[in-house]
Amino acid sequence: MNIHLKLNGKDTDLVVIQDESLLTALRRAGIWSVKHGCETGECGACSVLMDGKLVPTCVMLAPQADGHEIETVEGMSEINTIHPIQKAFTEMGAVQCGYCTPAMVLATKALINKEMYPTLEDARDALSSTICRCTGYVKPVEAIMRAAAMLRGEEVPPIDGGGIPMEIAFGLTGESDLGRDLPDFLKGDSGSDLKTKKDVKFAPWVTPESQTDVVGHPEIKVDAVKLAKGKPAFTDDINLPGMLYAEMLTSPHGHARIRNIDTSKAKALQGVHAVLTYKDIPRVIYASGGQSWPNPKPWDQVSLDNKVRFVGDRVAVVAAETPEIARAAVKLIDVDYEVLPVVLDPREAGKPGAPVIHDEPDAVGIPDASRNLVNVVDAVWNDVDKVFAECDRVFENTYYTPKQQQAHIEPHITITYWDEDERLVVRTSTQVPFHARRMLAPLIGLPVKRIRVIKPRIGGGFGGKQEMLIEDLAAHLTLATNRPVRLEYTREQEFTSSRSRHPMYVTFKVGVMNDGTIRALDMSVISDTGAYGSHSLTVASVSGLRGLSTYKADALRFHADIYYTNKAPAGAFRGYGAPQGMFGLEVIIDEIAHSLGFDPLEFRRKNAVNVGDHIPISTALGEGGTIEQYVLSCGLQECFDEAAKSIQWERRNDPKWRVDPERPHIRRGLGVATCMHGTAIPGLDMGGASIKMNDDGSFNVQVGATDLGTGSDTVIAQIIAETLGCRLEDIIIYSSDTDMTPFDVGAYASSTTFISGGSAKKAAEIVRKQIIERAAKILKTTTEGMYLRNRQAYAADGRSVSLEAVALNSLHTVDQQQIMGTASFMSNYAPPPFGAQFVEVEVDTETGMVRVPRMVMAVDCGTAINPMTASGQIEGGQLQALGMAISEGMEYDTEGNVLQKRFGDYRIYEADEAPDITAILVPTYEPSGPYGAKAVAEIPMDGVGPAVSNAIFDAIGVRLRELPVLPEKVWKGIQEK
Amino acid sequence: MKPAPFDYYAPTSVEEALDKLTELGYSGKVLAGGQSLIPAMNFRMARPTALVDLNKVKELSYIKPTADGGLAIGTMTRDSVVEDDILVNERFPILVNTIKHIAHKQIRNRGTFGGAIAHADPAAQLPAAILLLDANLKVLSKSGERWVKATDFFIGPFMTVLEPEEMLAEVVLPPMAPRTGASYQQVSRQKGGYAQAAVISTVTLDGSDRVKEARVALFSVGESALLASKPNQVLAGQVPTAEAIEEVAAYVAKNECDPGTDIHGTEEYRRNLVHVLVRRALIDAVQQAKK
Repeated sequence: MNIHLKLNGKDTDLVVIQDESLLTALRRAGIWSVKHGCETGECGACSVLMDGKLVPTCVMLAPQADGHEIETVEGMSEINTIHPIQKAFTEMGAVQCGYCTPAMVLATKALINKEMYPTLEDARDALSSTICRCTGYVKPVEAIMRAAAMLRGEEVPPIDGGGIPMEIAFGLTGESDLGRDLPDFLKGDSGSDLKTKKDVKFAPWVTPESQTDVVGHPEIKVDAVKLAKGKPAFTDDINLPGMLYAEMLTSPHGHARIRNIDTSKAKALQGVHAVLTYKDIPRVIYASGGQSWPNPKPWDQVSLDNKVRFVGDRVAVVAAETPEIARAAVKLIDVDYEVLPVVLDPREAGKPGAPVIHDEPDAVGIPDASRNLVNVVDAVWNDVDKVFAECDRVFENTYYTPKQQQAHIEPHITITYWDEDERLVVRTSTQVPFHARRMLAPLIGLPVKRIRVIKPRIGGGFGGKQEMLIEDLAAHLTLATNRPVRLEYTREQEFTSSRSRHPMYVTFKVGVMNDGTIRALDMSVISDTGAYGSHSLTVASVSGLRGLSTYKADALRFHADIYYTNKAPAGAFRGYGAPQGMFGLEVIIDEIAHSLGFDPLEFRRKNAVNVGDHIPISTALGEGGTIEQYVLSCGLQECFDEAAKSIQWERRNDPKWRVDPERPHIRRGLGVATCMHGTAIPGLDMGGASIKMNDDGSFNVQVGATDLGTGSDTVIAQIIAETLGCRLEDIIIYSSDTDMTPFDVGAYASSTTFISGGSAKKAAEIVRKQIIERAAKILKTTTEGMYLRNRQAYAADGRSVSLEAVALNSLHTVDQQQIMGTASFMSNYAPPPFGAQFVEVEVDTETGMVRVPRMVMAVDCGTAINPMTASGQIEGGQLQALGMAISEGMEYDTEGNVLQKRFGDYRIYEADEAPDITAILVPTYEPSGPYGAKAVAEIPMDGVGPAVSNAIFDAIGVRLRELPVLPEKVWKGIQEK
Repeated sequence: MKPAPFDYYAPTSVEEALDKLTELGYSGKVLAGGQSLIPAMNFRMARPTALVDLNKVKELSYIKPTADGGLAIGTMTRDSVVEDDILVNERFPILVNTIKHIAHKQIRNRGTFGGAIAHADPAAQLPAAILLLDANLKVLSKSGERWVKATDFFIGPFMTVLEPEEMLAEVVLPPMAPRTGASYQQVSRQKGGYAQAAVISTVTLDGSDRVKEARVALFSVGESALLASKPNQVLAGQVPTAEAIEEVAAYVAKNECDPGTDIHGTEEYRRNLVHVLVRRALIDAVQQAKK
């Protein structure tokens, strides 16, 4: 049918299907800024302005738009222009993945049209219908306030400042100081922070007061403008002729054998091009976790199997002319299931009589499939039992963390097609394009060289896309049909058939002396990997690494048993085992501090690791082979100082603050947690970067690093711009395309700034050397003392030549040469970032409701290459962590059906209820990282859960050892007290 | 998941809409704002074979004052229009406060006043609000109009007395008595999310601060929105002491609601919430009435 509407001011006729949503009709019409995030009107990514009001389009039928005015961000700006609201979003760092940015921009427009002087509360309310999983809403709210000021014609303060001292950044100029062996000063007594760093040979052109030009500055993200403008940048923002739509048939049973599948009726449906089941494709065993070769065992999956192991497991996949036909075809597949009993609790899965989930004979590397035991991890350092015997007190308790869902707003989506060379192109929303290519090849029987994986912009990943999740199915369908195929998860499938955080039972046993010295830590874990072993070994290992490295001790022991259950598999999720381990650790540390009569903050300060300390558990767990890990830089004590001041830690002792006379049922409390994470996997993670110089002195950069919304493209470009003495706008960066860019392991393990940024710095140093050599020839001088700054190459005598002139000379005049450089970087060191997390709670003692008015986290991430994106990570990470602490967690009925299948039931924090979130950056200098940088992305996941639990204890004296702290649990705790 | 195929009609007048509903009978379903129905269809929980979309029936969207000081609200009036309306803010501030708890502005921009009532979701705000405010509902069919009291309208979860050929056309709210205070209380894991328990109350005081009438509506704690009878039985004619209110709250929690155990909480916990919220709502409403 035809509808007529005014679309961005233009009279438009659209041909629509009467039962389609306005969302799909608009996207078909090329309005790509309107995004699919759910099917229930709850995420808000699909919002438009209809007659000036913000409305969701996924729950509006296309015909309902007939006769109305529809406005989207496409109508707000032209080429080379940008609307003030869009500008404010880019300037304030409000754009992370950018998937929901167009909706936020429209929400802002609707608000400011109505209220030119919005309050912070108005701004939060306006954003409350758009779920953002990246930002924690802090910067979007600031962007709204800035946009309103701009639209009122007011002057707004410039966004600049920052930078780090040149003498720090370029102290060791010349040869790269990356990846060298353990620095000598570590062995001595000098620290490595800004104030105490010694023995640095300064470059001659560096003056003490000078600051870096690009590194350390809050530069606008290189992709912010296109995302704020809603340009077609994501996987699905493409229309290929002849594209087919794929749909999965998934298991309705938690555990069943497929006796037979009859696809004849589905195949007979007009418009169906392929129906694939286990009968149609070769059986190739693999592991879906996106990790380095060889993928850790077990290898316990095949693309399509004759057994299903959880509700939502793959049964068949269909490709058809339209999504509607594909869905109809799925319903026509007859499956004869032999339903088997399920086991859902990892503590029951290993007991005799439990159903055996992996009884297939061809699985590789399951230690004891008959007991559903996926993996066992053991690590010991020194004699723990002996030290326990020497301790004054030994504490022991068990802690539980839930199955949190990544819930990136862009669902998993893959489009596959043959290119003109008959190579398979896989356009996919992935964090691991190179791993995906290598892992996909054997499954579809093509060599790696015939596969090209392209990663466009990603609408959030958080680990959920560190997985080869659906690429194989789309590829099989393209192989079967020779047509482009699009496969996208619904929001419901994200809950039923995607990945999640491993739920863990973590038991800590801690031996201490009465003077408050921790002597021994013993940690044992029961981890629930769900139906497949993806990431199970390494996630459990990281829980031990983080649980046993934060505090000094004389002996350490770790043991983990990981079990299969009939639930959706767990996988990688920001934090990767650390939040599970740190929850147990930081709550038991709090319990011990209270028990021994210490201030919980002082107890932490006393026992936490510091510069020069050895991290023995790392090698015990096999991280980085035999290379011992040390703390090279540590600003933890300063983090405690800054954050404690910000949260007003001393209020704990103020009875008038703790009990509100106006609301006597409310009790207030404060909680603290120490945070320590890693930066990349030592001796394993590697990334490459390639730089070439253009005629005008600009540079093309190709990196394998996979920006999933975090801003890694920007950070890498900043590192290169600083090294090459140019501006950020002179760097044209292109990331992640297996044909075009060097290899990179991908976006995980908090590695990108450090590893990929390291490769960028090394490549830039190669290019810098070539530029300097060429410039020296042009200036007829030597390279000695020559440096690059302000788009010029300066000789020691002060004369200079522009980078453009260098480029033209090199490309066109004499001894022609393409100035270019390629480098890769790996590190045997995984320098830990540190953080101090503080949380304020209000507990309603009658209902058990816990409200968090404020969270503060101070982080030592070394040098923050971009303080805007770094603080964005800390803000957003804290809110994601608060979700796990307070409300998020997938629950199952007795048959293995997940109970939360939509955002409304899953409960992600929205803007109007999110706390006031503060991120403080404590600068240190990490000698092993580019410009002193360490990781920042995952550490904000680690401290909020325990700090919430500790704050609740502070408020009401009830100790909660299980997350999330649902109000009913709090209430029961109060009843039992 | 997308909706199953269905027929779609978009009448432009009430008459046309009623013709279509009569013709379709049980296979027809009214589409108002669609903020509950379309998600349910996308989730395959509702599979209507024909939709009669009222969005083009302009005559169903209005807010009119009634002579007695109340209001008449057309069924297709958007929630956000009711929320922002000056008359509603003046005469029924409790209604505005209640509407603000419905999801988010974006949903309220589409959701309609009458649609939410006819949908009769036991966890929805507006059915409880019209019970509380003792509304009268105008129901139209081809054979004419009939009036139904809000207290007679709901018969179960997602069930009302509406026949397939009928539509809810207007909601009439009688005026609030002078010296009436009101309160909205809920416990929900999310501000805009479904409540684990929620209470709306009004208390009218006489000149000597005795209760003339106390009304307590509950939702999310039974098969439909509920109007508790005990509060008025106990409090009418009395000074609303803390003890009396506590007695009422305990009674209502024990006897006048029916919360089950579901993903939002156990029955025991939700009865506790009712107890706490009824107490808080009555205390707050009394304070408001005294202002």
